Amino acid sequence: MAADSEPESDVFEITDFTTASEWERFISKIEEVLNDWKLIGTFSGKPLEKGIYTSGVWEEKSDEISFADFKFSVTHHYLVQESSDKDGKEELVEDALPLPMQDLLCMNNDFPPRAHCLVRWYGLREFVVIAPAANSDAVLSESKCNLLLSSISIGLGNTGCQVPLFVQIHHKWRRMYVGECQGPGVRTDFEMVHLRKVPNQYTHLSGLLDIFKSKIGCPLTPLPPVSIAIRLTYVLQDWLQYFWPQQPPDIDALVGGEVGGLEFGKLPFGACEDPISELHLATTWPHLTEGIIVDNDVYSDLDPIQAPQWSVRVRKADNPQCLLGDFLTEFFKLCRRKESTDEILGRSAFEEDGKETADISHALSKLTEPAPVPIHKLSVTNMVHSAKKKIRKHRGVDESPLNNEVLNAILLFLFPDAADKLTDGSETRPTSSAGSNPPPESEEYNLFSQFKSAPSDSLTYKLALCLCMINFYHGGVKGVVHLWQEFVLEMRYRWENNYLIPGLASGPPDLRCCLLHQKLQMLNCCIERKKARDEGKKANITDRSPGGSSGDTGKAADHSGGDYQKETDKEKEVGKSWESWSDSEEEFFECLSDTEDLKGNGQENGKKGGSKEGGKEFTNFKPEGRLHQHGKLTLLHPGEPLYIPVTQEPAPMTEDLLEEQSEVLAKLGTSAEGAHLRARMQSACLLSDMESFKAANPGCCLEDFVRWYSPRDYIEEEVVDEKGNVVIKGELSARMKIPSNMWVEAWETAKPVPARRQKRLFDDTREAEKVLHYFAVQKPADLARHLLPCVIHAAVLKVKEEETLEDISSVKKIIKQIISHSSKILRFPNPEDKKLEEIIAQIMSVEAIIARARSLKAKFGIEKCEQEEEKEDLQRFVNCLLEQPEVSVVGAGRGPAGSIIHKLFVNAQRVATMTPLDEELKRSGSADERRLISGAVADFPPPAGREVILRTTVPRPAPYSKPLPQLSVAGEQARWAPAASVSVLTVPSFDRGCFSICGCEMEPQEPFSSDT
Amino acid sequence: MDEDVLTTLKILIIGESGVGKSSLLLRFTDDTFDPELAATIGVDFKVKTISVDGNKAKLAIWDTAGQERFRTLTPSYYRGAQGVILVYDVTRRETFLKLDNWLNELETYCTRNDIVKMLVGNKIDKENREVDRNEGLKFARKHSMLFIEASAKTCDGVQCAFEELVEKIIQTPGLWESENQNRGVKLSNKEEGYGGAGCGGYCSML
Repeated sequence: MAADSEPESDVFEITDFTTASEWERFISKIEEVLNDWKLIGTFSGKPLEKGIYTSGVWEEKSDEISFADFKFSVTHHYLVQESSDKDGKEELVEDALPLPMQDLLCMNNDFPPRAHCLVRWYGLREFVVIAPAANSDAVLSESKCNLLLSSISIGLGNTGCQVPLFVQIHHKWRRMYVGECQGPGVRTDFEMVHLRKVPNQYTHLSGLLDIFKSKIGCPLTPLPPVSIAIRLTYVLQDWLQYFWPQQPPDIDALVGGEVGGLEFGKLPFGACEDPISELHLATTWPHLTEGIIVDNDVYSDLDPIQAPQWSVRVRKADNPQCLLGDFLTEFFKLCRRKESTDEILGRSAFEEDGKETADISHALSKLTEPAPVPIHKLSVTNMVHSAKKKIRKHRGVDESPLNNEVLNAILLFLFPDAADKLTDGSETRPTSSAGSNPPPESEEYNLFSQFKSAPSDSLTYKLALCLCMINFYHGGVKGVVHLWQEFVLEMRYRWENNYLIPGLASGPPDLRCCLLHQKLQMLNCCIERKKARDEGKKANITDRSPGGSSGDTGKAADHSGGDYQKETDKEKEVGKSWESWSDSEEEFFECLSDTEDLKGNGQENGKKGGSKEGGKEFTNFKPEGRLHQHGKLTLLHPGEPLYIPVTQEPAPMTEDLLEEQSEVLAKLGTSAEGAHLRARMQSACLLSDMESFKAANPGCCLEDFVRWYSPRDYIEEEVVDEKGNVVIKGELSARMKIPSNMWVEAWETAKPVPARRQKRLFDDTREAEKVLHYFAVQKPADLARHLLPCVIHAAVLKVKEEETLEDISSVKKIIKQIISHSSKILRFPNPEDKKLEEIIAQIMSVEAIIARARSLKAKFGIEKCEQEEEKEDLQRFVNCLLEQPEVSVVGAGRGPAGSIIHKLFVNAQRVATMTPLDEELKRSGSADERRLISGAVADFPPPAGREVILRTTVPRPAPYSKPLPQLSVAGEQARWAPAASVSVLTVPSFDRGCFSICGCEMEPQEPFSSDT
Repeated sequence: MDEDVLTTLKILIIGESGVGKSSLLLRFTDDTFDPELAATIGVDFKVKTISVDGNKAKLAIWDTAGQERFRTLTPSYYRGAQGVILVYDVTRRETFLKLDNWLNELETYCTRNDIVKMLVGNKIDKENREVDRNEGLKFARKHSMLFIEASAKTCDGVQCAFEELVEKIIQTPGLWESENQNRGVKLSNKEEGYGGAGCGGYCSML
């Protein structure tokens, strides 16, 4: 390249890389990566502490390199250590072994419960693995393996990197690695052999020792002692008498209409299958020396009961079927349905039509036979629905997705007031249930504002739970659509008949709740106002025609179903409530058109008064719509007391309406005209208040109004008048005096009209229709999305409730995380599906943990334990099993937990031998198995895993070489392991004058190394 | 102008009537002062794009009426705000004493609990001061708010107040990203992370 750019220079030596082979490029890439990761050079490190591989943090870095077009991923795995370790280059003893070789001999971290398999086999704290990048790729041919091995050997040699470098060969599931580690004058080869069937001599210690020694080929006699660590693992799968206690709820019973164990409004909980599938007992002899014990093909000293260390891990069932989780997942699936309500119901309606026309005779018989009239137990409202439903759907009740009994039970649950109506035979006073039991100020109750769901005693929340259950048990999406239609009909019925909706807090929509809840509250506001208006109208009629047209009153009373008496009561209440400023919800606002015939003298006088300029002149019309006197204030001119008028409530708003309105307001722009227009749009409320004020205070002026409405805009000063007296003189603030400002303008146009005769600020009819329409067009998916926060809220509460029974600290922590996570996700509109799934997955994992805790408790018989102290110990032990990958058993086989485990194995063995499975016996061939057949029932089954670590330090290859560590690892497969069970043998080899390693590993059927 | 805007923020201005909310806003957006500004009816709205630390943020500022009666109307607009400027008049103690009410109202109607709050003592150009700067400071500290004294008339502190507020909002993770860029807060679940890594890295069994 240099030559190209400077053709005139007289450089003759050109390093030419143009012909570099793919292989060379690959090696240089390896070197580059090692350089980038700063793995070059010698590092010293402290000897490893005991258990640091489990307690410490492992990290990994990855990169990708390619050999021609074959991609490899390079991953550096390392135990995070204090930074000081890497600065210690200077202190290095000259002939110290490279760190990885020292680690080979360190016995502090044998059999780590959770670690990379290479850590488990070689005890390394740091290594680099080169593996095919794609999971399906594999390096299969021997020449390719050798090529890779050569590559890393050259790479290590060129860079002087002392970190062991491995290449993964063969299929990934075999976990075959070859590798190398280089140091000054020393080299370690890591090799492996993976056998399908374990040769007999490798199934016991003496055979393994023989191989180890012969592989080392040590020239010294006698051989230096070999230190041995052995771990035997036993697997317990049959739990026998400890049946998993929870049965799935009887779905048939539910479908049959009997609402069995599950009540509406409750969520189910727990696993349907045992969430603990296996118990693995590892019995360990950590420090043995050759010759202390005998373990050959006829006899073994390795009795698990005598092992100095016991540790236990449990294997959890993968995704155990848990009820709550299933409920949530199924409900979440609804969110992804695309169909509209009509599509779901319409299709089946069509099918039905087809069926009916095809079978005319059947249809005829249907007509002629007296069809049983469906009797609805519940309420008037139900009658109306079903009638409407029939008309609309053109089909019989018995063919709807939900049968009547279930439907009625749900409706009764959602609308408990319907039952009251039924028993009373007449309308009872609509009570807002939320008002009657004041919400507890507990943290749990207020969860709804974090989740943007709805209070846990609200109709919305109950509806969400019912839909969730119907979706799961009663006809899936069709059932959901059916219930929703019934619900919407009920809403319309209540709107048309002035029945308040129960289970909603009164007042304007609570913006902290989900939109659906707000809409329901909105509808309730509409019903409330309509009801008040209708009742007010009747009251007016009776007021204004005392005894005159009794026919009218009678009609009105008849019309309302004989609750006339009640209404007058209500009227009294209204009168009472007017005395307080805040409770004035009951006033009514009639449309002007409605009151044409009712124009009393007040109205005419009002007009007269209003026509006078600004109402400044004294007028003598009758004051109307007074709420109460405003302190001791008096009107400036007539000197009469100043009254606060009854005013119209501002229009309640749901968040979507608010959004709409703020958009409209914002669209007006920021110009002066825009601002003016904006103010004008919002002045309706001000104008209405002014009119009410004028009506309540005949002869008032703007100053009077301002003193009530914006007191700081009336400025009072002490002035000395001409007679020398101190007089308080007041005037409007400068900003109120600006000519033709909005306030003055509004005041001038305001007529003295009491709130009850003003134009409604809030058109409840329109708003109610809007809400009802909104409900009607909701697709099942929309509905599910609206209610998902409620369902998640309920699930979290359920999990919390169950957790308090078990008291598991880790679960408490996770629940807290779920809550904070959910409140971040759910508060925003349209949260991403992925995030919702995360939340659901978290809840499911908590459910599984609790189910596991219960299963373990049952298995270890904690409830049955009588001694308090022992019980506590066991409890602690069980909790550890849940939280840690592996738990050591205090007292090994002799401790309380140990003896329970022993008993579990003995029981399992007894059953296994009483009903021997022939096939299994035929298949088996090991010594243990033969012993079992021969009659002596062992307490434990043959070990499923046998891991042996052999270590020694010998000089190699010649007696005068430096003594170097040798290590071998061996394991044994489970006895009835299928073909997947394999074994690995690492054969030593070495180069110039040094050292090699022999690892032999035969692993059990299941990898013990990494359970999550 | 909108193209390189990082985010749009909703800011509220609240406080008792006549403390100078609209004047502060006018000073900030138009750099003018009108001693005779009509009392706000309902809510008013202004937009301004400012640049903080090289990030352009578009501010949609909602100015509200301070009158008691409007309070049934205005809190509806609190929804979704990321920042709020709470104003009092340093020459009128009663406007300072009412601050607690305003905070309560914010808490009730605000849809989020991590909204950034700034306290502004306005009208420091006037001579008849009734509220000491330290009192304002103390109140702000007690309620974890930003604090500044300002004068819409002399322009003191106005620009600074808005900039501080915006900077603070930008620095608060999850307050603005998630809503405007649909990028949620990432859950940092350590255990999960470890388990995941363990699975990916440590058990390459299948």
